Amino acid sequence: MSRRRGTRISTQLQNSRAPSGGWRSPRNKKQCQSESKTHKNEVEAEDQGKEIKEMAPRASCQTMCPAQELRNRESQNRLHCFEVVPGTESFRKPKGDPLRAVKEYSRPAAGKDVTKPSCLRPPDVLLKTVCYLIDEIAGSTSLHPWTEVYSFVFDRLRSVKQDMIIQRLSGKDCVAILEPTVRFHIYASYRLCGEPLRIYDPRINDTHLQEYLSWLFDCYKTGSGPYPNQEEFQTLGLLYNLGSSPATQDILELPERLRQTPSLKLALAINRAFLEGNHVHLLRLVQKLDFLQACALHRHLVTCRRHLLLIYCHGYHSRNCRFPLDRLAQLLSLEPSLTAELCQVYGIEVNQHNQVLFSKSAFTEPEQGSLDCKLYHSIVSEKQRGLTVKSIIHGCT
Amino acid sequence: MAHITINQYLQQINQAIENHEGSFCAELLSFKHPHVANPRLQSQVAREKCQQILEPPYDEMVAAHLRCTYAVANHDFVEAYKFQTLVVQYPFFRAFQSHKEENWALPVMSAVTLDLRIFANNAEQQLQKKGKGQPGEMLEKAAEQLMSCFRVCASDNRAGIDDSKKWGMMFLSNQLFKIYFKINKLHLCKPLIRAIDSSNLKNEYSPAQKVTYKYYVGRKAMFDSDFKTAEELLSFAFDRCHRSSQKNKRMILIYLLPVKMLLGHMPTHQLLRKYDLIQFADVTKAVSEGNLLLLNEALSKHETFFIRCGIFLILEKLKIITYRNLFKKVYLLLKTHQLPLDAFLVALRMMQVEDVDIDEVQCLLANLIYMGHIKGYISHQHQKLVVSKQNPFPPLSSVS
Repeated sequence: MSRRRGTRISTQLQNSRAPSGGWRSPRNKKQCQSESKTHKNEVEAEDQGKEIKEMAPRASCQTMCPAQELRNRESQNRLHCFEVVPGTESFRKPKGDPLRAVKEYSRPAAGKDVTKPSCLRPPDVLLKTVCYLIDEIAGSTSLHPWTEVYSFVFDRLRSVKQDMIIQRLSGKDCVAILEPTVRFHIYASYRLCGEPLRIYDPRINDTHLQEYLSWLFDCYKTGSGPYPNQEEFQTLGLLYNLGSSPATQDILELPERLRQTPSLKLALAINRAFLEGNHVHLLRLVQKLDFLQACALHRHLVTCRRHLLLIYCHGYHSRNCRFPLDRLAQLLSLEPSLTAELCQVYGIEVNQHNQVLFSKSAFTEPEQGSLDCKLYHSIVSEKQRGLTVKSIIHGCT
Repeated sequence: MAHITINQYLQQINQAIENHEGSFCAELLSFKHPHVANPRLQSQVAREKCQQILEPPYDEMVAAHLRCTYAVANHDFVEAYKFQTLVVQYPFFRAFQSHKEENWALPVMSAVTLDLRIFANNAEQQLQKKGKGQPGEMLEKAAEQLMSCFRVCASDNRAGIDDSKKWGMMFLSNQLFKIYFKINKLHLCKPLIRAIDSSNLKNEYSPAQKVTYKYYVGRKAMFDSDFKTAEELLSFAFDRCHRSSQKNKRMILIYLLPVKMLLGHMPTHQLLRKYDLIQFADVTKAVSEGNLLLLNEALSKHETFFIRCGIFLILEKLKIITYRNLFKKVYLLLKTHQLPLDAFLVALRMMQVEDVDIDEVQCLLANLIYMGHIKGYISHQHQKLVVSKQNPFPPLSSVS
């Protein structure tokens, strides 16, 4: 009896760590009897010391895109413009470039056999694929617009993840692939902030990023290490999930020597300031972050600034309140003109002498779409200075 | 029981099943019972006899149970878990579901699900030691099975109260809570809480079950920052927990104390000593005196303990209360309603709060005003905090 394998999407586990083996046997009462027998055989096999890995599908595809898929997509005219031989883009059927084609993500479906060895890429090829995507696509200075670049890389990385799951990769192989993937998504969350929803959805980026982070942290926890970048990524994870109790608790449960590293200490201090509502202190600490760390934190800047304005509306509420705009600008790490704009968005009056009139009743939530986060990005963008996208994602800053 | 023959054992089970003797049947399938140490029951022959003497699906269930006893005897909990799964997942579950309008099997359900969770725990620990397996993976699978049983219980609408399977709901909830807390997936508790809350049996379960239930729901409320609810639930659990269960009372107290402190109620030293919770003594002292320095020291001294219990983050929230108490002292000392901001800065510097300046003082004060801990306003021009002449520092319990 052959045991059918198929992915089962369990709603209960949707938010769980990324599965390293997302394969469950289908619940089929008829097969249960015989299944429990084969189950027992499997159990006995494990008893004899055989690792689960030996039963994982083999991978033999040595190119970024399996040959069969390249042929299929070429004949169906479904190649991405980044994958075609230069010069053939305008042909009726553009020619696929085997050096530039990358296996695309495809939804698992009944009857589709994703375990064919010729279609699966082994770990070394996966790593080469990721490097190609970063160096030649994400890090390219000639490919435009970056939203298009993002879509392509996002999808192809998703396919890499699929191959990893099917082969039940774990440990150092996984980590080497996940780390640049996480950096890419964090950078993207900053770079594409403010793009229209139909081109870029921050929530989708977030969902995938959280899964990658979760999986990466699991690898750190269960693997034998050493993982020299663990400090960097635990820091990025905490900054990205600022103020989250589960994220904070996870960091607190790390070994002492990790928690005492400078970047993690800084992230914890920022997290603490966030939870205490001390955003003045927080924004000051943010000055010490590097570019990618600031990218990770950036989506919380709106919350921080909003909260500061809110508590100041309450704290300074009086008829004679005249708070200097310049001072507020310094506290918010913004230019005075932008500070005045921000106040306006929240309904706070700034008079012609550049004084802010804080008042409890004035504070209003901004209308949908009136707050353009991108305008207030200077605190992050000034850290980018001479860095290239390639070096950011490879972590060589 | 440790010397019973296989025939006797199987006959007893068969009888218990036929006579619907739930409790007795449960004992014969529970790992708390001495029969599990009986080597005669652990042989291949014993398993084959199951098919001869018992009706399906009980034959498979008991056979799996016996294989499990063999695994446990060899201290192989990974195996034990696998076989306990075979007990629960198919045979028991099917039988349980097929019992229309009767609930005699509830004790059996309790016994086998409890063992399932315990083995999942042990199995994970064994795997971790060998560096294999995802943390939480086995417990999640166990939870899935418990959830199926829970659904069977919760959807039992037809039977009368006495025969209803709904009586099993709280026990299963408590088991599931233990798993969800262990694997840190608290959000999965919500549907269980909702189901129990809307059930008419809510207050009829046994005191022991209710204490456990309120303990976990109280902890969840803490996690959701709903401190008033948390206080109610945890106080109930603490008060009703049996005097003799010192360990449990201590566990409840570990979570009740931070909540009470956030609401302004400090524990007595006597209480802390009685339950061996001196770790909280310095924290308590620091908070009531407004002593930030002592608070930071106390938190870092017992950091490991607080983190392990998962209360470190909540205790950090006490910092805000401590700032409030410190600032109140400043107010009481200066005896005026117009307090220079410098005075607060001096107070903070005395507490060795590092690199704090006037801007941060203003932020802290603004936050306390916003939260309702101080009634007043800051005048930037005069660099003063102007407080209300009436009750400028309202009591902590009155501020949400």
